Amino acid sequence: MVTKVLIANRGEVAVRIARACRELGVTSVAVYSEADAGARHVRAADEAVCIGPAPSRDSYLSSAALIDAARQTGADAVHPGYGFLAENHAFAAECVAAGLIFVGPPPEVIRQMGSKIEARRAMAAAGVPVVPGEVPSDQSDAGVRRAIDAIGYPALVKASAGGGGKGMRLVRTAAEAAAAIASARREATAAFGDGALYVERLIEQPHHVEVQIMGDHHGGVVHLFERECSVQRRHQKVIEESPSPVVTPDLRRRITSAALSGARAVNYRNAGTMEFLVDADAAATDAPFYFLEMNTRLQVEHPVTEAVAGVDLVRAQLLIAAGGRLPWTQDELLQRGHAIEARVYAEDPAHDFLPQAGAVRLYREPQAPGVRVDSGVAEGDTIGVHYDPLMAKVIAHAETRDLARARLAAALRDFPILGVRTNIPFLLRVLEHPRFVAGTIDTGFLDRDEGPIHQPDSSIPALVSAAVDAHFAGGGERAGTSGAPVATGLSSAWDPWTRLRDRRIP
Amino acid sequence: MKVSPLEPGVYRVTHGTDRGLVYVASSGTQWWAFWNGGVYEGTHGSSPAAGLPRRKTGSAHEPIASPMPATVLKILVTQGDQIRKGDTLVVVEAMKMELPLRAPADGTVTAVRCREGELVQPEVVLVEVESA
Repeated sequence: MVTKVLIANRGEVAVRIARACRELGVTSVAVYSEADAGARHVRAADEAVCIGPAPSRDSYLSSAALIDAARQTGADAVHPGYGFLAENHAFAAECVAAGLIFVGPPPEVIRQMGSKIEARRAMAAAGVPVVPGEVPSDQSDAGVRRAIDAIGYPALVKASAGGGGKGMRLVRTAAEAAAAIASARREATAAFGDGALYVERLIEQPHHVEVQIMGDHHGGVVHLFERECSVQRRHQKVIEESPSPVVTPDLRRRITSAALSGARAVNYRNAGTMEFLVDADAAATDAPFYFLEMNTRLQVEHPVTEAVAGVDLVRAQLLIAAGGRLPWTQDELLQRGHAIEARVYAEDPAHDFLPQAGAVRLYREPQAPGVRVDSGVAEGDTIGVHYDPLMAKVIAHAETRDLARARLAAALRDFPILGVRTNIPFLLRVLEHPRFVAGTIDTGFLDRDEGPIHQPDSSIPALVSAAVDAHFAGGGERAGTSGAPVATGLSSAWDPWTRLRDRRIP
Repeated sequence: MKVSPLEPGVYRVTHGTDRGLVYVASSGTQWWAFWNGGVYEGTHGSSPAAGLPRRKTGSAHEPIASPMPATVLKILVTQGDQIRKGDTLVVVEAMKMELPLRAPADGTVTAVRCREGELVQPEVVLVEVESA
């Protein structure tokens, strides 16, 4: 029985969880850092607790502060959202040790699937295809070279201790192998102090296809079909959709079946997502797919699954955490229509997507049939510099992919945000790009030169000039909808910049 | 061209057969506008073509400034240095990232107006460069 949930997060996901709690008749507790005192997610919950100063490590990443807040308010469960401590197995274990229900899988499953090596091993043992690769036991240059020859070209030589693309080299032909191995080893040693290498087959121009999983504590596991998340910029998802335009019914059957096998093999509970790379260039009925990793939490793009399958995933998470059974059988789950989500970030596409900070002077969410907006921002808020610049997600659901695409574009054209620059103009260019219309965008597309490049508008349309002139003729300074002036600055009492003098941001 | 204010900051504009809803916000003479998915900004009283970012480019003196509140991490130049286009002049730190501020053109550093460790606000000039 869960009566009170502490939401260990902020922004739009915290608002989302608070909504699900309200519908279930469960009390919600929001947490906020000093910088977020006036934030939308605080107002969305029934109670709220301040958990520390602005920097994440002192607030949203502080398990001590979070568990303390749970104790203080008498919460019996903690929902970690996504990001922050959501996939931190130590935090999950501490919640459990404190007598709190953690809304997610058991700590041990989080730990296991959080280790790339262990996750691959567990999936391979369950018969799930993994990206062909090898950790050569003979780590000499010759040994690594033999591993590359065995895996096949093109191959990626990667640092075992690595991450972030460091110590990684692409090897297209045998002639490049020796130099690539030496170079990768040098970089790995310099960056991580460990020159051990492993080899993986390079999947060219892959599609990122993921499968939503939900398991209960009674042995039940279902999949809720797939999402396509290949529209990425520097490995960050920008647009997601369901169903995937490159997944045929046969591939869907195989990939969801593999996802279920994997989930069962690790006794998965609550919500999770299995991510795969799909080699769409291979013959349609034979498109190989490979396990990439598993995310042991709710994902940002969960709304596209909710739209197409007609479910409430957060509600299911809470019910399952409280001991209930899965709300649906596999047979009851169907995909209907098509949904596409765009992530609206406070980023300037004209200046390398630099995160923006500032006052949100005007903010009007689009409202139309089949359009959903999940947001943590309201007009008058100040976007600070401490957290992820995600402002809102706009999800359009319609009968077909093209109708959903048009519906989403129309919604974005009707989403005025002024005061901070956003990536909305960039999102529109992507949605209207021929490659997106054809559904053929792979994960590297936006980073290649041929990707849509934002062209800053250097001329102002006459329509806009006329409106601006009328605005200043009518007095200029914009009033908020309540008639009171929009907050234009931070009061120094809680201005994090005065507090942070002489401190480094980690 | 006909402009009808619908509510503060929201204007319906009709020009022949074109109609649009334009949203405008302002602070002093600084304004921002949204129309049909595009965002525009400018300073009222200057010419219509001046809807460019406040940091003007193409002038002889190029101010280098941080686009957001940040900490100056490293200053890589001193007064008098010759620099090439693309050279990193200052590295600032914000939102857990290091942001290099680069020279927009070849030139000479004429002044350094910040210190390492200093917190700076957006638009404040950190380094002045004279283009070659």
